[in-house]
Amino acid sequence: MPERVGESAAGRWRRRLLDLLGRNLSVVVLVLLCLISSAATWREQNPITSRSGAAVARQVLEACQAPCSVLVVARDTEADRVFVQAIEHGLDVGGARIAGRVFGQPRDVRLELERIAGAGASVDAIATHRIGSEWGPVRTAGTPVFAPGSYRWPTFLTARNLLNVVNQNADIAIIALGMTLVILTAGIDLSVGSLLALAGVIAAVTAQEWFGGGAASPAGLLAAMLLGVAAAALGGLLSGTMVTAFRVPPFVATLGLMMLARGLALILAVGHQRRLVGGGAEGTPEAVRVEAAVFAWLGNGAVLGVPNPILLMLVLFVAAHLLMTRTMFGRYVYAVGGNVEAARLSGVPVTAVLLAVYCLCGAFAGLAGIVDASRFEGGRPNAGELYELQVIAAVVVGGASLAGGRGRIAGTLIGAMIIAVIQNGLNIAGVASYEQKVVFGALILAAVLLDRLQPRLGEFRRKPL
Amino acid sequence: MAATVLAALGACGGADPGAGGGGEDIAARGTIGFSAMTLKNPFFKIIADNLTAEAERHGFDVVVTDAERDVNRQSQQVDNFLASGVAAIVLNPVDRIAIGPAVRRANEAGVPVFTSDLQAVAEGVEIAGHVGTDNYQGGLLAGEAMIEALGEAGGEVLVLHFKQANSCVLRVDGFRHAIGEYNRDRTEGRIEIVAELEGGGLRDEGYRAMADGIQAYPDLAGVFAINDPSALGARTALEQAGRADQVRIVGFDGELAGKQAIRDGKIYADPIQYPDRMGVMTVRNIVSYLDGEDFERVHLIPTALYRQADAEQDPSLD
Repeated sequence: MPERVGESAAGRWRRRLLDLLGRNLSVVVLVLLCLISSAATWREQNPITSRSGAAVARQVLEACQAPCSVLVVARDTEADRVFVQAIEHGLDVGGARIAGRVFGQPRDVRLELERIAGAGASVDAIATHRIGSEWGPVRTAGTPVFAPGSYRWPTFLTARNLLNVVNQNADIAIIALGMTLVILTAGIDLSVGSLLALAGVIAAVTAQEWFGGGAASPAGLLAAMLLGVAAAALGGLLSGTMVTAFRVPPFVATLGLMMLARGLALILAVGHQRRLVGGGAEGTPEAVRVEAAVFAWLGNGAVLGVPNPILLMLVLFVAAHLLMTRTMFGRYVYAVGGNVEAARLSGVPVTAVLLAVYCLCGAFAGLAGIVDASRFEGGRPNAGELYELQVIAAVVVGGASLAGGRGRIAGTLIGAMIIAVIQNGLNIAGVASYEQKVVFGALILAAVLLDRLQPRLGEFRRKPL
Repeated sequence: MAATVLAALGACGGADPGAGGGGEDIAARGTIGFSAMTLKNPFFKIIADNLTAEAERHGFDVVVTDAERDVNRQSQQVDNFLASGVAAIVLNPVDRIAIGPAVRRANEAGVPVFTSDLQAVAEGVEIAGHVGTDNYQGGLLAGEAMIEALGEAGGEVLVLHFKQANSCVLRVDGFRHAIGEYNRDRTEGRIEIVAELEGGGLRDEGYRAMADGIQAYPDLAGVFAINDPSALGARTALEQAGRADQVRIVGFDGELAGKQAIRDGKIYADPIQYPDRMGVMTVRNIVSYLDGEDFERVHLIPTALYRQADAEQDPSLD
């Protein structure tokens, strides 16, 4: 950025800040939304950890004279077991006696209390967490109850929730990659939601019927998944052919494919269900269940605590970013979107570029379909309904122009996250569902409006202040 | 951040366990998260409203979300409930199998899941309690109503289905069984089920399906629609075709618009469900669960047939 003669230090910093804000407005919007979501979800937190367990043990020991007999109450989860271990360790060191231990439901507490009373023993204290302290048998036991205190922190800003936000929207973000390419060429693809369903159903049906069902090998499942993605890519190729060879407007070509692919997905799923019940009644359009447990790994597994769909999304984003910024193909796509005739005259293979773009968009939708099928342990013929609109919203909020030629992959990632944060924030803040639609629509309009102000901010900056 | 404030709670039985530390937005017994099938259908809104009112009476907060018939959205809502630490989750499962992984995540987090209206049948999931309609019995009643409506003449009958929902599959099974029993040993006045069309359980889809059905089956004498919205859609199509007085409609649900149509003679009869009771009983199940009491794990509420004579006596229609 050029330095200006005679500009004060404060003025320079102000100009730099404005410049930065202007160029990264969507990032600013995302950060703002995160702050708002955090403020709206500022709530009591009740962690169930070994630390809070140790705190409860100390509390019991302070209040209860030895020999103190304690009932420990927790649920049957991993976190609860760690919590209980810490309590028992603390009580043990402090010389208290453990009268009983419940890992389960409120009913189990009642039974345990009855057992202790039946044996003629007594309980001087109950050690549990906040949730356990609300259980009926604990409240009415007539015994002092000890639970860790709480602190306040935004529910939005917890690791579990943040991973949720991104994980839930990883499929939308993956499709948005392909959609960005299509929109860069001034096109649109309405078929992505249906292609997602078709890919998931094909993967599920072939995994069940061709590759061995419950006994399918990982290689067989991979083949089934690739078949699903290939079918979706083929669908994209069909759109591309309609758009290039027959000059059909992309809106119409992909609208046709949208219905065609949805119908195929339903037919395949219903046919599979019918074969399952022996061919008698017509099947129902329910999810086609994949029995092999490994199939669920892609959608539900995690590596180092990060859910797989997020990892897949990040890898694809980096690949797409490199493709669009570092390769000839990327430059061709921008050229076609900027001005088709100019691109053609300067030797860009326009037809091949468009075919590749629609094919890639289909393939990305197919990949999202595989993630969806894996997540739900089966292909859903009704999956991805109205996804096309969410995806287009993500791309546009991310700063791409529907007129083509303008937009970035990084912008799309931000756009997808903006939409994700709006949805999650509204859900967690407890905004009722009818109101959510109004707020969501208004926020999308506001985000896009802000983005449209961007060039004007630039103009302001260029004028001498 | 450490757990800094240590609170000894409720020293004696009956004491209010509302925690120390000024938790004014936390109800005494925690939050219930409810993910409804679709709040565009009044049936589920009634469940939601009654569930909310009853839960608040017992000291719970309720968060109601709309799955919009999308199991992906419903799963996300379950995850959000888990992240915000609810005491219990209530679902109308959108897809009885595909909701499985989400329910399993709730099971792993130790949060009890209750279902209402629709059941979940996925493998390896634990449902703490279910309250729903006895849909098969309702289907039998719908069949009886159709037999009654058509009289000795019998005739061709069409079904407006919504196969995605297992509750509707059970209704049609019951309906078919009742009609089959009636037809047995009968050569004249038989009732023939000529087709099952997909009515989507919605007024507009039901309307379109019925409009096509009239063209395909000109001799139709009756329609069984698996819920009131699609029954009302069918009625509109029949009126437009000028066939409303020849084709009798049996609906299902007994929602307000359906009851009004029965009073006005537009629908012959409905097996009625009790979504208000479903909401209330689900909360009572949750309270029983948290109080450690035994309760009926699967409770099916039988339907009752509601005809014009019932509608004329119904104070809720004035």
